[in-house]
Amino acid sequence: MGWFSTSADEKRKEEVRTGARAPDRTERKQCWDARDGFYRCLDKNNVVDSLTGEGKKIADKQCATEHKAFEENCASAWVTYFKRYRVAEHKKKETLARLEKEGANRMAVEGPGDTPGSKKI
Amino acid sequence: MSRSLAAPQTLLRSLLQSRPRTQQQCQRFLSTHSSSPSCRPRRPTPSQRCTDGQSTLNANRPFLEQRRYKAKTVEEQKSRYRTGPFSWKAGLLFVVTSAGLVWYFEYEKQRMQRKRVAEATKGVGRPKVGGEFQLVDHEGRPFSSRDLKGRYSLVYFGFTHCPDICPEELDKMARMFDLVEEKAPGALTPVFITCDPARDDPKILKAYLAEFHERLVGLTGTYEQIKDVCKAYRVYFSTPRDVPPGQDYLVDHSIYFYLMDPEGDFVEALGRQHSPEQAAKVILEHMKDWKR
Repeated sequence: MGWFSTSADEKRKEEVRTGARAPDRTERKQCWDARDGFYRCLDKNNVVDSLTGEGKKIADKQCATEHKAFEENCASAWVTYFKRYRVAEHKKKETLARLEKEGANRMAVEGPGDTPGSKKI
Repeated sequence: MSRSLAAPQTLLRSLLQSRPRTQQQCQRFLSTHSSSPSCRPRRPTPSQRCTDGQSTLNANRPFLEQRRYKAKTVEEQKSRYRTGPFSWKAGLLFVVTSAGLVWYFEYEKQRMQRKRVAEATKGVGRPKVGGEFQLVDHEGRPFSSRDLKGRYSLVYFGFTHCPDICPEELDKMARMFDLVEEKAPGALTPVFITCDPARDDPKILKAYLAEFHERLVGLTGTYEQIKDVCKAYRVYFSTPRDVPPGQDYLVDHSIYFYLMDPEGDFVEALGRQHSPEQAAKVILEHMKDWKR
């Protein structure tokens, strides 16, 4: 975004944060990188849910810089979304691990779906 | 099968052979002396009885046939045994015929199954996905479902503010499209329909989609129009209807690629589990079926 002046750049960033403008590829990449940085910090501190309770306290204390970068580079809606996504993903993994321990078989979902007319076997 | 054909021949031959033997047996039965092979003319009495007996013989056939089982020699006994209804050849014929029938029925069953699967997307009982729509493309031109007719189309629903899944899927779609285009140029139209018409106007769509593939067709419209399209494609979406300006929100929506045939009928849904290579292969296979 070389042709943007610093103020225009700032304005654009602000627009992305508030959701007035959809981020482009570079901005998405920046956001995802910032998110991964925040996730890494949470992993280090054994925090899954950074939205409520004890997790939020630890995250605010230990991962303040990462969180700041996260919020700066991502739309606020995305920040909440990714925080929730982390919790959901963790629960999914836990459930899968539990089911596998109970002897459930993992079904391959490769190939055709269960839609009628899928010809591949 | 040559074995089973051979069996009836032997059966037939044995039947033919058995006829003179029957006559012999009759004569033996009629003559008082079992050693005499036939009715001799110089002995009138047996001859008389013989011709007389010939007529009664036919009348009392069941009684005579019972006597046929009496064999005189070991060889005769053996041959009698061999030509009986439960010989090893008959058993073999039975087994071979049964095996043949089982194989035939299995083959027919599988053939019918393949046929049924191939025809599942056509005619009655096919899921009704897709349909007519009237929207605006990324250049601001009107675009309707008629513009998709004549070639396959790959339809994807999303929105430009999508955090992670849609951009990934759109990259995948671009790769899929390139792979299909390589093998079958101009046979597929990639379409992106927004679920967030309030924020995604043609200009924004154009800028957004240009980052993925220049051939992607972006479609938007009014809230009602988009709602109807989503309903036609059985897409779940959760776009809030009236959002005060400046408030950010995300849209929940189904993340399938819909493959539609040149007549606008739904063919197959491709999901997250397909790699671009797999998906392209599936699409090309369907295209091959269409030409047939």
